[in-house]
Amino acid sequence: MPNIIKIKNLSFGYDDKQIFNKFNLEIEAGDWVSIIGPNSSGKSTLVRLLVGLACSNKAITVDTLMVNQEKIVEVRKRIGVIFDDLTNQFISDTVRDDIAFGLENLNYDIAEIHTRIMRIARELKIEHLLDADPQRLSGGEKQKVALAAILVMQPKIIILDEALAMLDTKEQREILNILKVLHEKRKLTVINITHNLEETLYGNRIIVLNKGKTVMEGKTLDVLKEERILTKLGLELPFMVDLSLKLNFYNLLDDIILDMDELITKLWPSK
Amino acid sequence: MEIIFNEVSYTYNIKTSLAQKAIDTVSCKIPRGNITGIIGPTGSGKTTLIELITALLNPHEGYIKLNKFKIENNKQISNINNLRSKLGLMFQFPEEQFFQPTVKKELEFGMKYFNYKLPEIDKRINQALKMVGLDESYLERNPFELSHGEKRKVALASILVFNPKVVILDEPTVGLDNRNKKRLVKLIRRLKLIYHKTIIIVSHDVDLLYVLADYIVALNKGKLVTSGSKYDVFSQEELLTNNNIDIPKVANFTNKVLKRQKIKLGNYCEINDLIKAIYRHV
Repeated sequence: MPNIIKIKNLSFGYDDKQIFNKFNLEIEAGDWVSIIGPNSSGKSTLVRLLVGLACSNKAITVDTLMVNQEKIVEVRKRIGVIFDDLTNQFISDTVRDDIAFGLENLNYDIAEIHTRIMRIARELKIEHLLDADPQRLSGGEKQKVALAAILVMQPKIIILDEALAMLDTKEQREILNILKVLHEKRKLTVINITHNLEETLYGNRIIVLNKGKTVMEGKTLDVLKEERILTKLGLELPFMVDLSLKLNFYNLLDDIILDMDELITKLWPSK
Repeated sequence: MEIIFNEVSYTYNIKTSLAQKAIDTVSCKIPRGNITGIIGPTGSGKTTLIELITALLNPHEGYIKLNKFKIENNKQISNINNLRSKLGLMFQFPEEQFFQPTVKKELEFGMKYFNYKLPEIDKRINQALKMVGLDESYLERNPFELSHGEKRKVALASILVFNPKVVILDEPTVGLDNRNKKRLVKLIRRLKLIYHKTIIIVSHDVDLLYVLADYIVALNKGKLVTSGSKYDVFSQEELLTNNNIDIPKVANFTNKVLKRQKIKLGNYCEINDLIKAIYRHV
């Protein structure tokens, strides 16, 4: 698949602090990429640069469009971002109005807006929330509404910037499963920036950042097998990966098994 | 300081059409000098529970007892500041509350507001920094320029300057990478073991609480699901799952092995101990 995001020789800093120095990155269309790294590795700055909230000096192209002042509106039509704290992301009194906001601003036809809202509400099972006040929703419901507000714009890329950090595990799984279906159905490119490496198991690729540099990148399990590098960066492996690797070390297992029941059967096959 | 909840209920917007019962007849004990984790799905009442403990809210039914203090409906606590001085509450993302240009000014702000004398202020600041593992070199630094982990420590220090008996932490590790999380865990343990604080942690991270906490209070839809030692609570798999409460992965694994293989691996919180137990039984 062609690259939907291309970063070439990106140099960027805040005041006297350099974050990126001749940084390069490519993401293929339709990929689900997890970007991980310790605090201050540049993950959130990367998000800001991708959507033009900070100036990347022509180093970034999104879907063949250069991220600059001239093309920024077109770029932002292609990317949707969900942040961790949604308190300030909702601006309307009802869920329906919040989802409609972006389309209204682009002067979409009322009938088209209504059709898109109803379609996405059915897909995300939030029809019953359309007349609710977004500020009174649970964490998981808020994330679904934020997702709906983005998907209704039909972006090609969705970025989650620590978006699931405040949710409980059930809500996290729900959102990730919804995204998984949409990722496959709509061939969305998903970029998940997270501290929680359990979430990386949903994606096909991982990029590991540290101090503005790519330390490692590759297929999800290939990267997760590099226990020593990840631990040195202060990252915590997903439980089943960690357990499998440790059992491998003691010759009790010879593979990475992600399903708990399957692993138990492997350890005690006769019982 | 032990905290006792006796048949406590609280309803937001009581006696209106928007009334919502957030805590429903909860009775439980938070033991003194231990670390208690409060868990439950979103909307279960965890934050309301800690607001009741700190008397930010008064219960509509029942009462909460903290030593000689009793928080109940329609009864004002005489000397409420005395109660609140014994409780320290750190909200989620506490560094968003910074507003002073130096760490020193952040730490002294509360004490100056309550007219503490200067020598006392300096003494308490030094003690609080020591508790969180920071030295005097941080005092003149800009809190906004600190690392994530350092910011979280300064936020905690700003509560510890009042030397509370009870420290309440709402999602203390959110936003921290694993390295900073481990440092904070170490710090919290020190507060319990060396400084004998009673610590209450509200967190979605049951894996963290399985390692750190001694006791667990589990809520769902405002009701108490169960409470007790962490091993007892997290062995009640069906009860927790039926109430949408997560089980720590290590506990989940040992529970499954017991159920399926009838092998008791033992109570382990950390994966390395679990590996040793598996090795013995395979």
